[in-house]
Amino acid sequence: MSHSDSQSSLIRIEVDGAEHPVPEGITVIQAMWHLGRPTIHGVGCLGGVCGACPITYRLPDQPASKTGLACQTAVREGMAITFIPSDSSKKAIALLPKEAPTQKTLFQYYPETRRCTACRACTSVCPQEIDVMGGVRAAINGELATVAEKFTTCVMCGLCAAVCEVQIKPHRVGMYARRLTGAFYPKEATSLLHRIEEVRSGKYDAEWRELLSGDLSALAHDRVM
Amino acid sequence: MSILEDSKTRVNESRAARMKEERALLSPEDKDALIRKFHPDYKKEAYRTIQIGPNQGEQTVHELANLLEGKSPIASEAVSLSPQHQVDLLIIGGGGAGATAALTAKAAGANVLLATKLRLGDSNTVMAEGGMQVAVSAEDSPVRHFLDSLRGGYMKNDPALLKTLVEEGPEVAKWLMDIGVLFDREADGNLSIRGGGGSSKPRLLRCKDYTGLELMRVLKDCVLNEQVELLEFSPIVELLTDGEGACTGAVLKNLDNNQFIVVQAKAVILATGGIGRLHIQGFPTSNHYGATADGLPIAYRAGAKLTLQDTFQYHPTGAVYPEPMAGILVTEAIRSVGAQLVNVKGERFINEMETRDAVASAVIRECAEGRGVETSAGRRGVWLDMPMVDIVNAEGTLAHRFPNMVRQFSRYQIDIQKEPVLVYPTLHYQNGGIQINVDGESTVRNLFVAGEASGGIHGRNRLMGNSLLDIIVYGRRAGRAASKRATEIALGKLTLAHLDQFREAQKKAGVESKTVSPMLFPDYVKKN
Ligand SMILES: Cc1cc2nc3c(=O)[nH]c(=O)nc-3n(C[C@H](O)[C@H](O)[C@H](O)COP(=O)(O)OP(=O)(O)OC[C@H]3O[C@@H](n4cnc5c(N)ncnc54)[C@H](O)[C@@H]3O)c2cc1C
Ligand code: SF4
Ligand code: SF4
Ligand code: FES
Repeated sequence: MSHSDSQSSLIRIEVDGAEHPVPEGITVIQAMWHLGRPTIHGVGCLGGVCGACPITYRLPDQPASKTGLACQTAVREGMAITFIPSDSSKKAIALLPKEAPTQKTLFQYYPETRRCTACRACTSVCPQEIDVMGGVRAAINGELATVAEKFTTCVMCGLCAAVCEVQIKPHRVGMYARRLTGAFYPKEATSLLHRIEEVRSGKYDAEWRELLSGDLSALAHDRVM
Repeated sequence: MSILEDSKTRVNESRAARMKEERALLSPEDKDALIRKFHPDYKKEAYRTIQIGPNQGEQTVHELANLLEGKSPIASEAVSLSPQHQVDLLIIGGGGAGATAALTAKAAGANVLLATKLRLGDSNTVMAEGGMQVAVSAEDSPVRHFLDSLRGGYMKNDPALLKTLVEEGPEVAKWLMDIGVLFDREADGNLSIRGGGGSSKPRLLRCKDYTGLELMRVLKDCVLNEQVELLEFSPIVELLTDGEGACTGAVLKNLDNNQFIVVQAKAVILATGGIGRLHIQGFPTSNHYGATADGLPIAYRAGAKLTLQDTFQYHPTGAVYPEPMAGILVTEAIRSVGAQLVNVKGERFINEMETRDAVASAVIRECAEGRGVETSAGRRGVWLDMPMVDIVNAEGTLAHRFPNMVRQFSRYQIDIQKEPVLVYPTLHYQNGGIQINVDGESTVRNLFVAGEASGGIHGRNRLMGNSLLDIIVYGRRAGRAASKRATEIALGKLTLAHLDQFREAQKKAGVESKTVSPMLFPDYVKKN
């Protein structure tokens, strides 16, 4: 399950400066297991959504280093890998306001956002291919819904914040914009509110009583589809 | 080229004809026969009798039975039980159920400590794709939701638990929206809903195919904002009891220094999640790294009864190829918008909207009877015809609604907008678990359980989207009930008396276990 070292051919990767042979076709995390390294920090879902496993790596003949998620990146010949500590659970507090947010609400908690130099570093490292800088620019312009939309797929790996030269935390700005947008959604979900009222007012009580006092097993094959 | 490419061509060629084909649902008899013949839950050799404890004499799979009868990592004499933490409420597990319980308890004024194995949020919750079932539309109702779930669960659901689940659904959806969860919406502001296997009406709320990520991000953010005291990388290894059957705390293990941490609590909520990483019957899994059923043996040794511990959900469509993706979930929602399952000959073989157990059984049948496709790594599977989604709906549907799926495959140069993918059932969910009442309390006093670790709500087969609902509804209920309990009682005595009793029972039954439980992590690391 962890590695298919049967017939597959070996390639060489570099971890912390030392070279190791590993089977082809496995992920970076699986390669760590193959090398006998237990993973505790730097692993979570193994499915590319928890953001626990950011890495940077270099490939031979490619001067620029790349970033990725260790559980989603296959090892390649000559790959030199560095693990990046994932985003920590210690963070500043950003509470939802009582009233609908204004342009200023974001800056109350994330004032440094305005310092963005438009260097694009954040966008270039994002493993989710999010237009991170675009999100930050939208935040500066107070377009909360746009920010929210842009960060929909953010796995909170923190790579964008790690490379920002002016200490902006784009993913946190995105998260806050999303929560503001969700909590103060401009239109009401009327059917939902209606249903809550129906349940509260006991609309289904008689139906429940009848159903639960009868023989439930009689309903087993009565298909409603 | 290969048989694989050959077969892929047949999928493309048969598409036009298949699209017109109407396929009825199986009759109850045929469905039953299919499941009995091919579903892994019916494989007798995979099961054995549990020899000791509250479920003695009942059946479960070897992998779980070994853990339930396993040895504690703690030698009673070897640890000092003087507590490093004293709290009202100890919550164990940082997934959706644990985070929700923590928020609810904190809001109720309890002094809460949340301990989890990896980081807060590393969980099955964060991985959920398809959505959360709530009966919101006018043509739907909580009663209908109840009936669908009951039928899906083979009438084995605990009716009281299930009624509470569906009735509190709408309220819980509102709560999530109030704390900032952004579900997909219609232009008029209403929640956008979609159908799911086994459901008679569309009622899946979702956030693209990142529903769990959205929930977990917001819940995590709230837990941090509310400054809930956190212990990460500190899994539970044993519960503590007062020697008279009530739970009074737990022993955790700090993974960074291997020291034990003793916590004294008026009540404990176990929210340790699922079992996928036990790889039952050798199946790959869709679950996160820490899904090793830890809550079950721990609660079991403390005297908690399990229910439906013999039934598991094998999601019909786990990825088979490329190899690094083996086991990763291909969300059911893809089938509900039109993707068909197709065998090696390019033929459809099941109505894709049957319940998961039936669809999984049909896939296993195709492969067992030689109509599957084999990969170079020796795995078998059938095709899931992804490009159909864009053809049936509109160009761009996959990219727009399933960005996660598109991205995951594209990392391995597979464009699911153009080609089908290979799938096979993957171990996905534990249908049963620790028995609870509507307050989430187990049969051990002051020990509450929420989420996938609990059992009874879903009967013998959970419907898609009912688990995300379960973790929020019962996370809240357990949080509320446990914090109320904490106002009524004092901290109790800390003992490992239940362990002594358990060892006594082991000896009496002649059970000599070599397995240490909880497992904590799957054994993937190669011993060099
Ligand atoms: C890929 C995937 C897709 C899914 N899609 C859907 C869907 O669309 N709709 C739906 O309703 N359901 C879905 N499910 C199921 C659903 O996501 C889970 O059942 C649910 O989220 C479980 O929540 P939980 O809080 O009980 O457990 P988890 O979210 O798994 O959280 C358990 C937590 O406990 C921690 N833990 C484990 N052991 C210990 C220990 N010994 N000590 C301390 N902490 C421990 C874990 O690290 C984790 O943080 C999906 C599941 C998967 C895996
Ligand atoms: S936006 Fe930042 S935190 Fe989010 S996925 Fe991209 S790099 Fe990671
Ligand atoms: S890295 Fe920082 S400064 Fe550069 S574009 Fe991104 S947010 Fe702006
Ligand atoms: S382990 Fe979760 S993203 Fe890699």
